[in-house]
Amino acid sequence: MRHALHRLGFFVVTLWACVTLNFVLPRLMPGSPILDMMAKYRGHVTQKALEAIETAFGIETHASLLTQYWQYLGNTARGNFGISLTQSEPVSQVIGGAVWWTLGLIGVTTVLAFILGTLIGIVGAWRRGGWLDGILPPVFVITSSIPFFWVGMLLILLVGRFDPRFPTSGAYAYGTTPGFNWPFITDVLQHALLPALAILVTSIGGWILTMRNTMVTVLAEDYVRMARAKGLPGWRIMFDYAARNAMLPNLSGFAMSLGFVLSGAIVVEYLFSYQGVGYYLLLGVVNQDYALVQALFLLITVAVLVAILAADLLTAVLDPRTRTGG
Amino acid sequence: MATMQIPAGAGQAPEAGLPGMPGSAGTASERAAGRIWRAVKSNKKALTGAIILLLFVIMAIIPGQIAHDPPQAFIYGRSLGPSAQHLLGTTPSGQDIFAQVIWGARETLIIALVSGLLSTLLSMIMGIGAAYLGGWWDNGLNLITDILLVIPTFPLLIVIISYYPHSSLIPLIAVLVITGYSYGARQLRAEALSLRNRDFLEAARVRGERRFYIIFVEIIPSMTSLIMAVFLGTAVYNVIAAATLQFIGFGDPNSLSWGTMLYWAENGEALQTGQYLWAIAPGLCIALLGAAFALLNYAFDEIGNPALQRVKLTRRRHSPPWRIRAERAR
Amino acid sequence: MRRLKSLGVLIGTAGLLTALAACGASSSPGSAGKSTAGPSGTLTISNEFGSTWTCQFNPYNPNFSTLPFGPVYEPLAFVDNLESGKASPWLASSWAWSNGDKTLTFTMRKGVTWSDGKPFSAADVVFTFNLLKKYPALDLNSDWSFLTSVTQKGTDQVVMNFKTAGTADFYYVADQTAIVPEHIWSKISNPVTWSDKNPIGTGAYVVSSCTAENITYTANKHYYLPGYPKVETVNYPAYLSNNAANADLASGKDQWGNQFIPSIQQAYVAKNPGNKYWFPPTVNNEIFVNLKNSVLSNVAVREAMSYAIDRSKVSLDGEYGYEPPANQTGIVEPTYSSWLDSSLAAKYNYSYNPTKAKQILQAAGYKMGSDGIFNTPSGQPLSFSIINIGDYSDWVASMQIVAQEFKAVGIDLSVENLASNAYDADLYTGKYQLAYGTESGGPGPFYELRQWLLSSNSAPIGQTASSNWERYSNPATDNLLAEYPAASPAQQHQIVDQLEQIMLTDLPVIPVTESVDWFEYNTSDFTGWSTQSDPYAQPGPAITPDFGWVLMRLDPVSH
Repeated sequence: MRHALHRLGFFVVTLWACVTLNFVLPRLMPGSPILDMMAKYRGHVTQKALEAIETAFGIETHASLLTQYWQYLGNTARGNFGISLTQSEPVSQVIGGAVWWTLGLIGVTTVLAFILGTLIGIVGAWRRGGWLDGILPPVFVITSSIPFFWVGMLLILLVGRFDPRFPTSGAYAYGTTPGFNWPFITDVLQHALLPALAILVTSIGGWILTMRNTMVTVLAEDYVRMARAKGLPGWRIMFDYAARNAMLPNLSGFAMSLGFVLSGAIVVEYLFSYQGVGYYLLLGVVNQDYALVQALFLLITVAVLVAILAADLLTAVLDPRTRTGG
Repeated sequence: MATMQIPAGAGQAPEAGLPGMPGSAGTASERAAGRIWRAVKSNKKALTGAIILLLFVIMAIIPGQIAHDPPQAFIYGRSLGPSAQHLLGTTPSGQDIFAQVIWGARETLIIALVSGLLSTLLSMIMGIGAAYLGGWWDNGLNLITDILLVIPTFPLLIVIISYYPHSSLIPLIAVLVITGYSYGARQLRAEALSLRNRDFLEAARVRGERRFYIIFVEIIPSMTSLIMAVFLGTAVYNVIAAATLQFIGFGDPNSLSWGTMLYWAENGEALQTGQYLWAIAPGLCIALLGAAFALLNYAFDEIGNPALQRVKLTRRRHSPPWRIRAERAR
Repeated sequence: MRRLKSLGVLIGTAGLLTALAACGASSSPGSAGKSTAGPSGTLTISNEFGSTWTCQFNPYNPNFSTLPFGPVYEPLAFVDNLESGKASPWLASSWAWSNGDKTLTFTMRKGVTWSDGKPFSAADVVFTFNLLKKYPALDLNSDWSFLTSVTQKGTDQVVMNFKTAGTADFYYVADQTAIVPEHIWSKISNPVTWSDKNPIGTGAYVVSSCTAENITYTANKHYYLPGYPKVETVNYPAYLSNNAANADLASGKDQWGNQFIPSIQQAYVAKNPGNKYWFPPTVNNEIFVNLKNSVLSNVAVREAMSYAIDRSKVSLDGEYGYEPPANQTGIVEPTYSSWLDSSLAAKYNYSYNPTKAKQILQAAGYKMGSDGIFNTPSGQPLSFSIINIGDYSDWVASMQIVAQEFKAVGIDLSVENLASNAYDADLYTGKYQLAYGTESGGPGPFYELRQWLLSSNSAPIGQTASSNWERYSNPATDNLLAEYPAASPAQQHQIVDQLEQIMLTDLPVIPVTESVDWFEYNTSDFTGWSTQSDPYAQPGPAITPDFGWVLMRLDPVSH
């Protein structure tokens, strides 16, 4: 109980730190986003028009910093993130449209990478000395240290350019109408193929290696030796005894990584022009669309925090030792 | 990321053969260094990683001897294919790609090594310092580290670097260090905490040694391999993060590094216009550098935890097939 | 079928038809036969916007004004920047200046209706301009900085009064102001933030559907020019990246592009028959020199800089050869070559001459230091920083080259590539030594020159200036600029000659390359494009209202 309160307290403190960081950072920036917007439109700007636009779009820069901070906290708590300057729409609307694409592409692929990676790691560790165990570490150590964007570029080059079945940008083609119809769904899946493949290639290595390492340690434990001595069949030992215990740290790591889904989305979506959360974060940063950037950053942080909390709870549920140890 | 297994039997007499543990002869750091060197030599993965790294270091130190063309001069023919004069061809602006790759090693390595070192240093201060000082220091430093651990690093990187975009190395390195140190700090703190109650430290305290002496002379040398692992792990992360930032366009486009080359290649639509080498060469180098650090890192893992090492299955007749004899891999 | 009722409409139609005839032999085979068949064909535009559509069509929202202004909302007249401001009737059928060019009277075209069927009248024009006055945030061209009043006269005339002679501002009120319907906009509480998702305009096209991925324009069946437009459907997909937009353009999936395409011969022209491109220059990319800087205020330094730059190299290596080299007079060639005083330019001859650059510096008393950099007599090195927009990779490359060329003559230049808002802040407030930038220009060299040289455009260091960021100030020049609007065409040429002289002797800015419009087009599928031989409009879809003017002339090729 005390542990849970401790974690909750940490959650709140971190949340507050992020919210405040979000508030402070844009105000350190020189210039004004309105100036940039006007510069896009011929640069024929008067001070009066500038001020009028600022008021119209709700950019309040003349109150004291503390007042602005309170307003900001209040607005955030109410879910009012303001209007996105580049989209001229409420930020919540922009995010609402984008978040499903990110969750869909990267969430699903991460789950896949986890499941596949864990299975391969288990099998590899079980067959110590086999060819799989021999190639696993070097191959996957290398694949997990390749920068993602390079794998993406290679895929675009080798596959996407020559085969139109593997589109290299966008979430779906504009000819299809969104909705639950078969052409749309196939189109979305087609567009997700290359980015998903790139994510899989770069992230699966981490899961394989972690799983393998923990499995190896567990396999050296006494109770596994006992199980073998008892004559239990190999696969049963592998899954029921060894893997179950080895999976614990992996599982909490996985829960954490779901939070990082949103964070890792940035490079994927930039390279493949996928209109998800990461893409809009980049767009907002490049165009100084602070309302959008703040909201997205907050969203990502909250997601990670929630995931970590969930991971902690999951570990406490699955592993009784953590409950008593503290 | 590397996970160090703490050898069982904490508090017992240190066993010879385990790296980082003080023995009877010589100082702890000397013996650790010697052990590490022997371990690297014998481990194939470590050797490969070390050789790759060495090659890049040579490229960074004497680029002029390897590539005779100036890397940034706009004096050659535009968009030429590979030839004897231009091993990798030229850019659409008339620069020699091979020279850029060779010269690019310098800045890329500097970023990786400097940010890796600084990050490890910060991890040590925040991790070991917190563990040893204990009390409110521990709570305070830990809170900062945990917050930074939890805030998603890449978005934070992007948001912060957007305030210094297109600028020189110093903001880039500073941002990488601040956002990347926390994982290592956590690992080091955990290890330092476990070491805190060991006999040899108790002996030092009883002897009346000062705190800093204990930290620098006793604790840190005992954690050499973990510190190495933290450094290598951070180096991998920094190489990739820096290259990615530069690729997206947040680096200094006038600088000469592999990430910047990829930025120009992407802007020049290298892949779409058939100038494949322009994009592939620097990307391959980044991948190799990351792989080198990662291989060394993994090898250090194995050195620290012998159970992870490559084993050879030996089948003896009349023996149950699942009997495994572990041998140190040659 | 509408009967042609007024002369104004005849003039309009005649103008269109002659333009079409001049387009070349391949243009619409037998337009007489076509006009009864109705519009046909589908045109797809390739213009990377960077985000998906929010389906907003408010012509006064700078984010989206390029989408409806031209095809859906129309202005009073069309001004062709590529023909030094030649004007054609659009919503107004004719106009006349009076009162020493301080009063402009427009006569409205008859028979125009809004796309919801309600009739268009002069009242809508008066309403639009007074809306801009009421909401300064809408007045993006600062129309009311030179207008005093806009009123209706009779049933179909609008009278505009200017503070001073207003011919040089005709472009802004007549071509750059979108006319909106009073019966809709008078009911909107906040037109500045209004999204206008179903725009009602007078134009040749209506927005028939809009999703996040694509906008579809369809020909307006009740358009006041019979037989126009000829293209029935226009698709405007939302491209998030240049790669995708360029790929679709090259393959022929898109036929009208506004894209920067690197290595355009291999990447675009070679990919599909009929793929063509034309990049007409309209303004310059220049180095702004902060004239309040004590070292830079010495004209010898600026002269040396102008001689030190190999402009054709910057053009070829920094801009893929797409942007022609500029010249120190500031006159953009070939677009405004008729304004260039070539003998004057030849007399000063600011072509690439590093030897001369060094001579000028030595003659001015600068001494070469041991590090290869000149020092002023008081010992200050000629070492400067130049701010640049880091997001424009071609500008980054150009400044790399310029820095190397300056180094060769003993001037040390460090390039600061900034994010655009930091750049804007520094540029507008004068917190820089050198800056690489561009003005917006207008239908003729006068507009860019005025933006550079008029002292009232500027502001003291620390305050925001709308242009003239180098802080140039010369009362004689101001007088010269003030004479231009009321002068006769011949006198105007003389004034521009004198302004060129100022550019050559004072060098307030140093033009490097000429900024172009990106324009790719496919002639296998459509004809009627604005081309080098017939530059009847700025040719790309991103320029408004030329976007609509070109659309009206396009004709699908029947296969």
